[in-house]
Amino acid sequence: MTAATLVHVVVSGLATGAIYALMALSLVIIYNATRTLNFAQGEMLMVSTFIGWAAQRAFHLPLIATLLVAVLAAAVMGWIIERTIIRRAIGATHWDVLIITLGLSLMLRAAAGLAWTHDEFPFPSFFGTRPIAVGAVRLTPVSLGIIAASLALMAALYALFTGTRLGRAMRAVAQNQRAARLMGISVERVYSRAWILAAMVGAVAGVLVAPVVFLSSKMGLIVINGFTAAVIGGFGSMPGAVLGGMLLGVIENLAPLYLPSGIRYSVPFLVLIAILLVRPAGLLGRLEPRKV
Amino acid sequence: MTTGRALLMTSIVLLGVWPWVAPRYFVFLASVILVNAIVAIGLNLLSGYTHQLSFGHAGFFAIGAYTAAVLTLRAPHLPVPLTLALAGCITAAVGLAFGIPCLRLGGLYLTMATLAFGFVITEAILNLDTLTRGADGLRVPVARLGPLTLATDEARYYLVAVVTAVMVAAAVNLVRTRTGRAFLAIRESEIAAQASGVPVATYRALAFGLSAFYTGVAGGLFAFVVGFLSPDAFDVFLSVDFVVMIIVGGLGSVPGSVIGAAAVTLLHDGLASFQNYRPLIFGALLIACMLFMPGGVMRAVSRVARR
Repeated sequence: MTAATLVHVVVSGLATGAIYALMALSLVIIYNATRTLNFAQGEMLMVSTFIGWAAQRAFHLPLIATLLVAVLAAAVMGWIIERTIIRRAIGATHWDVLIITLGLSLMLRAAAGLAWTHDEFPFPSFFGTRPIAVGAVRLTPVSLGIIAASLALMAALYALFTGTRLGRAMRAVAQNQRAARLMGISVERVYSRAWILAAMVGAVAGVLVAPVVFLSSKMGLIVINGFTAAVIGGFGSMPGAVLGGMLLGVIENLAPLYLPSGIRYSVPFLVLIAILLVRPAGLLGRLEPRKV
Repeated sequence: MTTGRALLMTSIVLLGVWPWVAPRYFVFLASVILVNAIVAIGLNLLSGYTHQLSFGHAGFFAIGAYTAAVLTLRAPHLPVPLTLALAGCITAAVGLAFGIPCLRLGGLYLTMATLAFGFVITEAILNLDTLTRGADGLRVPVARLGPLTLATDEARYYLVAVVTAVMVAAAVNLVRTRTGRAFLAIRESEIAAQASGVPVATYRALAFGLSAFYTGVAGGLFAFVVGFLSPDAFDVFLSVDFVVMIIVGGLGSVPGSVIGAAAVTLLHDGLASFQNYRPLIFGALLIACMLFMPGGVMRAVSRVARR
């Protein structure tokens, strides 16, 4: 195998990884605010992408408007779910909420299947698929585009979390909820903003990845890759989520080149177990001190 | 405890006469419920007592099922109890081998590791096709008990019912042993248990092994009950179902595990005729259950009883 092929595979791995990273980020945003693992994140991504696609077919929207519709739909969906269901379970344990989000994911997938069937649909892309040659290396615009768009979104998230009042409030709640409340931060508002923000990030990831994997009700399973990525990076750490996602994407794309077909699908999980055995809190995570 | 004893006697009698009064399909369904109840009890030992949530129990279940099937194929004259015990022990060995290195992991990290374990096991079954026939699936021969062959639904039901009774009795009485008291102490507070001299790490590993043993035995029974194994029956959704059973039933409770297993199995079966609407209804029921009965059925029951 030549170095050029290697570069090509790594770049497409980074593109897959960027999507995983966005998924991981949306899981981490909700986890940091509410300490719950949102099982329905993947299905929310899927449904909002479907809504964008349906709007595009109905009104012949340009692609950028499709993206906006999907993001808007996601925001509304995140807000409604948080307001009507999650907030009612305020006295419940984390495990109860886990089951609630699981129920949500089942419902969203079934609803999408009823509305749009369980078939696969082609989805238009912002970027072409015809490879461009850079020296000996051939790169596809779609990979480069996904990477660039994801990095731009991550930069925007970084600015949001470091530069704005909302971002600071979210980080404060993630660190210590009671202290944040005593400082006058409305924790409830942070909950709701976290759900909206996470849903929006997911919708962008959905519109970016749908042209590559096709739009279907099965798209929601990407939540498992997002979870894997977040855990590799250290759950709760946002740079960790990005690192974990990229690493996972590259490993997934490289494994088939070097390994027999029998174990290639297990490789990401074996790598995950190996990483956790060496670093039990992920690459960039910190072990939480045990308190009485 | 008189109501408890009456309840116990009624359920034993009901279990005994069930094949005489119920149609054949419901005999089969009862076997599946009991098999799931054993898994739920096993998972609850791990999650309810030592707070280790596993999304990989379909993997242990698969190991037990395939072990029992392959043993029966290769050594047809092995009596069923021995086959099941071996299935349990081999699964427990895998559970310990996986659980001991994972002792350092807490919370979500352990959950993720078990999820990964489940995926790796299904891949392994697909690839060990000389032993497991891979994606084609494996037909399980009829179980034998000395001169008896357990070829009917009724016979298999009685096998499952007896094994379940033994496993339930063992789980209920576990709290009277040193190990059980250690589990209870860890359930209440890991740090307090550690401070009182309970070797927490040892018991967490033991919980992993014990949980895998229960799940392996249940897997072996499952192989005989359904008669056909294929790797896609043991996917992550089955693991998720097991977790749903114990959380809906009640964490750390043996009756809760049985109730949760029965509820989830019956729901899946009862909603089958709704086809595409099935997950919609199932999901809505899950949400409603957790909103109106936080902590699961057993918590709700004890709240009503106290009133």
